[in-house]
Amino acid sequence: MTRALRFVADHYLLAPIGAIVAIGWANTFGASYFRVADMLAFAVNDVGMAFVLGFIAQEVVEAALPGGTLHPWRRAALPVIGAVGGVLGAVATYDAYIFSGDSRNLLQGWPVVSAVDIAFCYFTGAAIFGRGARLTFLLLLAIASDAIGLVLIACRYPVPDARAAAALLIVPAIWSAAQLRRIRRQSMWAQLVVSGTLSWFALYWSGVHPALALLPIVPWLPHSARHLDTMGDPDRVRHVSPSHFEHVFRYPVQCLLFLFGLVNAGVLLKGFGDGTWGALTASLVGRPAGILLTVGMGVAAGFQLPRGVYQRDVVVIALATAPAFTFGVFFATAVLPVGPLLTELKIGAMATAAGALLVCGTARLLRVGRFARTGIGRH
Amino acid sequence: MTRAPVRVFVAAALVVGGLLPPLAAQELTLPNLTDSVKFAAMGDNGTGDRPEYDTANQMAAWHDRFPFDFVIMLGDNMYGSQKPADFVQKFERPYRPLLETGVRFYASLGNHDNPGNNAYKPFNMNGQRYYTYAKKNVRFFVLDSNYLDPEQVGWITTGLRDASEPWKIVYFHHPLYSDGGRHGSTVDLRVRLEPIFVKYGVNVVYSGHDHIYERLKPQKGILYFVSGAGGELRKGDIEPSAQMAAGFDQDRSFMLNEIAGDELHFQVISRTGQTVDRGTMRREHGE
Repeated sequence: MTRALRFVADHYLLAPIGAIVAIGWANTFGASYFRVADMLAFAVNDVGMAFVLGFIAQEVVEAALPGGTLHPWRRAALPVIGAVGGVLGAVATYDAYIFSGDSRNLLQGWPVVSAVDIAFCYFTGAAIFGRGARLTFLLLLAIASDAIGLVLIACRYPVPDARAAAALLIVPAIWSAAQLRRIRRQSMWAQLVVSGTLSWFALYWSGVHPALALLPIVPWLPHSARHLDTMGDPDRVRHVSPSHFEHVFRYPVQCLLFLFGLVNAGVLLKGFGDGTWGALTASLVGRPAGILLTVGMGVAAGFQLPRGVYQRDVVVIALATAPAFTFGVFFATAVLPVGPLLTELKIGAMATAAGALLVCGTARLLRVGRFARTGIGRH
Repeated sequence: MTRAPVRVFVAAALVVGGLLPPLAAQELTLPNLTDSVKFAAMGDNGTGDRPEYDTANQMAAWHDRFPFDFVIMLGDNMYGSQKPADFVQKFERPYRPLLETGVRFYASLGNHDNPGNNAYKPFNMNGQRYYTYAKKNVRFFVLDSNYLDPEQVGWITTGLRDASEPWKIVYFHHPLYSDGGRHGSTVDLRVRLEPIFVKYGVNVVYSGHDHIYERLKPQKGILYFVSGAGGELRKGDIEPSAQMAAGFDQDRSFMLNEIAGDELHFQVISRTGQTVDRGTMRREHGE
């Protein structure tokens, strides 16, 4: 039992499990599901997700330290270029799809298609490539795409009577985080409670999505350099401190992801529509095309692919960014209020999980990663 | 000064669509009183195809016998291209006989309507996604069910609470209850809207989206209609459940409604002019 739970947690399966429970519940006892989901939505989406995004931010901050994957920054340049292209490709495809039909209301959902599910990418990528430069490249693409997406959705948080002046609270939030780090170098709790709370209210009152509240605080938390491709198993690396955010919150974050899936993924399956197909097309076609195009342009402009990453790998990596799943649902919830349009986009975001099959098929076809045969199809 | 809301209960006893004596299919069964509120209801009409024109012609023909003053449009007023020429082909031309006699149309937005269509003058939306208007003793609330933002929820709550008219009718595109096989009930909207409707005494709710006609058994004292076959049709799409009182999914249809005193009379007409449902409901008062 413990092993099974550990397997589920280690493979970030709690979010999909929560989603499956939610879909089943919503389509059988819908009224009770939506009442419960409605009750939990604020606590999970606006408070709990702050810890999930903080957890991911901690990974990125540590990867950017000397000795980490992202250090020096030039190593991340090509994936970031690819991410920009991926977002542009996805948004352009989505808009073109919606414009070609008559559901123009859905145009406001365009930021949703910038989402990439990092955990999905990680496990798909690890299954195909194993650990190494190709997996890191893929994760950088996913994280950069979501970072762009978070910027796009940040200011679309629907709070009535937003007050821009409240954003000034972010100054004491960051200042207190810095001071607390100086005073209590190895403890993060005071920073989370004092600075995190200040930051949360600063964002919430000023109309910025409060799930981003820990992003300005994370750089001041205790951390040390690490490689992104260890995100699935932090025990593998030596730097782990029991007091570090990513260590303490590893399992609580999983529980939050379960709740996130439970609260947000419960959609009425009859609710699919143009938004579903638009989101699906954007993720499966638009984003990979945009990534391939801009990475190609980047290489032509003199940026180099990391050692061990070849052109046909990039094709598979680009396709592996298709699943939007958890992040897609989160972005959709942030961009659109409750209603059929939101449902259409949520179904689309979840359906992008099918991209995992597409990428496995393509990897097999191109004989990439685990599908490479000795002496055949080698780069 | 705040006014204590009058709680209104809707009696189901007089909803007698299936119990009335047989009638000639094209006979008008509505009282057709001089001082009543008379209106038609239709949804999902804006195809610009032959069936929409046929249904519109039937509406005009019935208008000669039952001179309704206005039409409530339940969304998807326009499908496909929505350029100026389409407003002519899909709205102005088919409903010209009604428009020429001064019948007004009050639209709600469906998922196929451009959001900017609320500025189209003949839809009488005055550029708003959701709005309200009164006709004698009836107040109508028109919602945009595509997305239910907190502002809209606050607006309908306040509006219903403050309404002084004895009849409160709400209409929007996505049905809270429906036995349509393609879409069905929009449960996520229902859990948010129904408590407000019940609390503030809404009597009747009209919706479209499913391309059928359906009358539900009163739910928590509210009568629900789905009338989404004004132009589109999903033939045979009804999957009857215990909540269905009457349904019609074999052809296009529209509704004629008359509110006289404490009674709502309705008659549902198919594209060929047949009466496919009819009945009366009584609004009752309570403290």
